[in-house]
Amino acid sequence: MRIVCPFCGERELGEFTYLGDAKPQRPAADAGEDAVYDYVYLRDNVAGVMSEHWYHGGGCRSWLKITRNTLTHEISSVEPAAGVGAAKVGV
Amino acid sequence: MAEFSWSSHSPLEHALATGVHGLRGTEAGVSLTEIRNFDLIQVMARRGKWAELARAAKTRFEVAAPDGPNAVQAKDATLIWSGPDQFLVLSKDGNHAMNTLAPAFSGLASLSDQSHARALISISGAKARSMLAKLSSLDLHPAVFPVGAAAATSIDHTSATLWRGGDQPDGQAVFNLLVFATFAESLWHTMLDAGAEYGIDIRYSEELA
Ligand SMILES: [Zn+2]
Repeated sequence: MRIVCPFCGERELGEFTYLGDAKPQRPAADAGEDAVYDYVYLRDNVAGVMSEHWYHGGGCRSWLKITRNTLTHEISSVEPAAGVGAAKVGV
Repeated sequence: MAEFSWSSHSPLEHALATGVHGLRGTEAGVSLTEIRNFDLIQVMARRGKWAELARAAKTRFEVAAPDGPNAVQAKDATLIWSGPDQFLVLSKDGNHAMNTLAPAFSGLASLSDQSHARALISISGAKARSMLAKLSSLDLHPAVFPVGAAAATSIDHTSATLWRGGDQPDGQAVFNLLVFATFAESLWHTMLDAGAEYGIDIRYSEELA
């Protein structure tokens, strides 16, 4: 499997680390225990297309958000995770 | 506060034996030269400050700082891309050391002195690419990795910065490799093994290519 890093170009899987589901969002501070439990522990076991966080630690050390089909490994999009590249996000 | 007298040593001091390694009796296919005594500063733009940093870098180096996987040659420094909104400044003789770069980029970037944290190895020769092909998953063919191309990558599971410098006078490609000092000896031996069948000419130098 190869991943096309938006900063580095096409690289082998060994340069990347998988974090997991990119969907969970940190709940508001007053959201309550159930929301925090959901955020920290509960994950969907997706058979199909899902959004994931990957880390290009063996390359440019950027966090990436990747859309991947867990059945076929087909990657349909790779983009920088929020906050990556000071000039590229949020300016 | 205690006074320290630091004396710097090459991380390859013990591993590097000048001369020929591997195949003999023919011109060595690979040339490995460790470059010693350089200044290396990591420059990382503060959030939202890349454009301003790029302008300050242009003023100082008279070339545009790399905004993608490239290495740019300035008059007395090489600027090597190391990730989004960051690059390395390679120079010598204190021209662009921490004490002069820090005020130049004040408020725009975070700087980190890597001068003694990395080893710099220059790789050339007719079989340089064949040797590297055993260790790197990058396509280093000149059509894909021309002069000035750079990559933050992993070689033999070790983080490395690899870029193509200017060709030698005879037209042969030169690959430059920065590797963490503590991994340098391991990678050095791996390159000796990979290049032995071509013959390796081993040297060290104080000159930046
Ligand atoms: Zn990358």
